[in-house]
Amino acid sequence: MDWQALTLTLRLASITTAVLLLIAVPLGALLVLGRSRWLALLQSLTALPLVLPPTVLGFFLLVLLGPRTAVGRGITALLGHPLAFSFSGLVVGSVLYSLPFAVQPIAAGFAAIDPPLLDAARLLGAGPGRLTVTLLMPLARRSIVAAAVLSFLHTVGEFGVVLMLGGDIPGATRTLSILLYNQVEIFDYSAASRTAGLLLGLSLAALAVIYAAGQARDPGQVLRARGGRRA
Amino acid sequence: MQLRLITAAITVAACLASATAQNSIRIAAAADLEPVLPPILEQFQTETGIHAEATYQASSALTTQIQNGAPFDVFLSADLGYPQKLIGAGLAQGLGDGDTGTPITYARGTLVLWERKDAHLPQPSLEMLRRPEVQRIAIANPERAPYGRAAMAALQKSGLYDSVKSRLVTAENIAQTAQFVDSGNADVGFISLTSATTPRLQADGRYFVVPTGLYAPIEQGAVLVTKAEHRVEAKKFLVFLMSTPVQQEMRQFGLTPSRPVP
Repeated sequence: MDWQALTLTLRLASITTAVLLLIAVPLGALLVLGRSRWLALLQSLTALPLVLPPTVLGFFLLVLLGPRTAVGRGITALLGHPLAFSFSGLVVGSVLYSLPFAVQPIAAGFAAIDPPLLDAARLLGAGPGRLTVTLLMPLARRSIVAAAVLSFLHTVGEFGVVLMLGGDIPGATRTLSILLYNQVEIFDYSAASRTAGLLLGLSLAALAVIYAAGQARDPGQVLRARGGRRA
Repeated sequence: MQLRLITAAITVAACLASATAQNSIRIAAAADLEPVLPPILEQFQTETGIHAEATYQASSALTTQIQNGAPFDVFLSADLGYPQKLIGAGLAQGLGDGDTGTPITYARGTLVLWERKDAHLPQPSLEMLRRPEVQRIAIANPERAPYGRAAMAALQKSGLYDSVKSRLVTAENIAQTAQFVDSGNADVGFISLTSATTPRLQADGRYFVVPTGLYAPIEQGAVLVTKAEHRVEAKKFLVFLMSTPVQQEMRQFGLTPSRPVP
């Protein structure tokens, strides 16, 4: 078992998820609280990474981040190294690739909140920041958890973008999915089965823990559980 | 009415399917043949009336597909190992009736080191890989891509491997290796002469032919898929592929004929 690939994948997925939540929560709030007619276009843009085949998305990123574009040269000058074939490059690619999986559930969760609640809070003087932190986020907690889980899993299973942008460097860009693909391609099916089994087992365990915790925190359920004990 | 339309559509589709099935073959071709094969297939159709459809993918992926029953008639690999593997499993055979245990070598590949003309680097050569300004060297995956394997062998045999290994980036195949270099993300890359002489890469870059003594010959093997639906046509294609005019043509695509031809 290649533990290096496993820890690299977990690190990539955690950082990507954190960055995505930092982007998706304010973006979701903007989509719900904002009034500009351009917001529909903005929301559509965030869904676009779903449309492109991942390897094609990876190819465009490779070209965009490379030294032949102004963007790529700017980033290289800023960081001191090009983004392609580096861990930070994979983070950039993964954030873009999983963006819809973070933004869509959060935007939907925020949009489902009763508008009179928001109006009442506004009348009491709450600004958009306070609205987001004290109303939207707690009420749409489950959507945020769903967004985090989806982003994390989508990054763990990410393949095409990493393949194009990564360069298969052990410890820097060789993620579990690349390792798995390599094992399948050299017909090492037993190693591939072990890797896939571990990946599926770990994911199942982690998901079960997250969803169980989510259920326990649901106020209705807590009340029902208490009622049950009393009876 | 709707039902009649659907029936009509199915009938038409069935007719079309049988029409294409009658005089056509399916070829599983290694991705590096994409610039080479189409004109050859066209000539084949003109000469024999047999239509040939090719699917281009990595040899390893095609091998897996054939192992799992993909309906190909001929497999043109980028190496000898994968066809040999299929023969070993009883899924493919060579051309001769007696000698079915070996793939047919239809061409030899040549490894080159390629760079963009505007890369501000000296002419490509193996020695230039030692220079510090060469920061990223792209190769195809040496565990499965034939040209990647050849590149690794050349680096090791020339004693360069230790000084370059931290600067290697691995691509999935030759095409991706070329993309890494062409997009400017890698400085140089080991690709096939076939790719390097396609009009686009020819215009953008320059190459150095890696001395053939540094790696085992990249022999490309063809086999007949045992379960081929169109056996007779498939055999005709393999004979055509090995004919002198086609073998001569290989040269203009950067492949070496598998046997001496004038």
